[in-house]
Amino acid sequence: MCHRSVGLVQGEIERAGIPTVSLSVRPEVTYGMNVPRAAYLRFPHGNPLGEPDRPEQHHVILEALLRLLETATGAPTLVELPVRWKRWEPWL
Amino acid sequence: MMTLEPLDTTDLGDKYEDWVRFIARTHHAANPRTNQVAPFTPLSKPLSDSRVALLTTAGAHLDDQAPFQVATVAGDHTYRLIPDDVELGRLRFTHTHYDTSSAEQDPNVVIPLDRLHELVERGRVGSASPVHVGMMGFNPDPTGVADELAPAVAGVLLEAQVDVAILVPG
Repeated sequence: MCHRSVGLVQGEIERAGIPTVSLSVRPEVTYGMNVPRAAYLRFPHGNPLGEPDRPEQHHVILEALLRLLETATGAPTLVELPVRWKRWEPWL
Repeated sequence: MMTLEPLDTTDLGDKYEDWVRFIARTHHAANPRTNQVAPFTPLSKPLSDSRVALLTTAGAHLDDQAPFQVATVAGDHTYRLIPDDVELGRLRFTHTHYDTSSAEQDPNVVIPLDRLHELVERGRVGSASPVHVGMMGFNPDPTGVADELAPAVAGVLLEAQVDVAILVPG
């Protein structure tokens, strides 16, 4: 449900004239929120940028968000990040 | 394979009906709210000239700010301002719908302040907003989020002259 709150706030900020991008671990919700730009990955809730104390992992994901800001030509733009959590879990 | 028998509700009296009504009223599917049309504001300047704000619905707040209300049906559609120069050890995470232990160990996993500062140092983005925004995303009824929180937060970013906003869920 965080993703619905993100979507509503993101839409309002974009309508106010500030470009936005969001991260998502629940793309099916993000898709329904009609956000301008979002990148999704199958990470656990609570770890959207990755694992604690792994700056290089956080930077990979952040860079993807910045590139999305720079390259999206219209809304909605939703992309999947080819980043994998450390181990496969059936609930991801 | 387990067979699920229908629940016998004859002895529950009004309680069962109350429960069904409660769920129907508060389940997020019963309160759909979305952006009717996906808005779009193109970048007006390079990121290297842009002031960037971070926002999260992970329940982030400072240790001397009121925690979010997590145990109510109404949710909590307030926000907390997080100064850019905050010492990360002062951040707290009030949220019952995700495991907050990673955020407590390293807040960057939901509010990447250190990472943003590194990006500023490298020149990848122009500057960090003087304020960032913490919210709590579990709101079964989205009305407060859509009608009060979202415009208020947009106002905060406009006032802080933010050029670009990055939002991260809990």
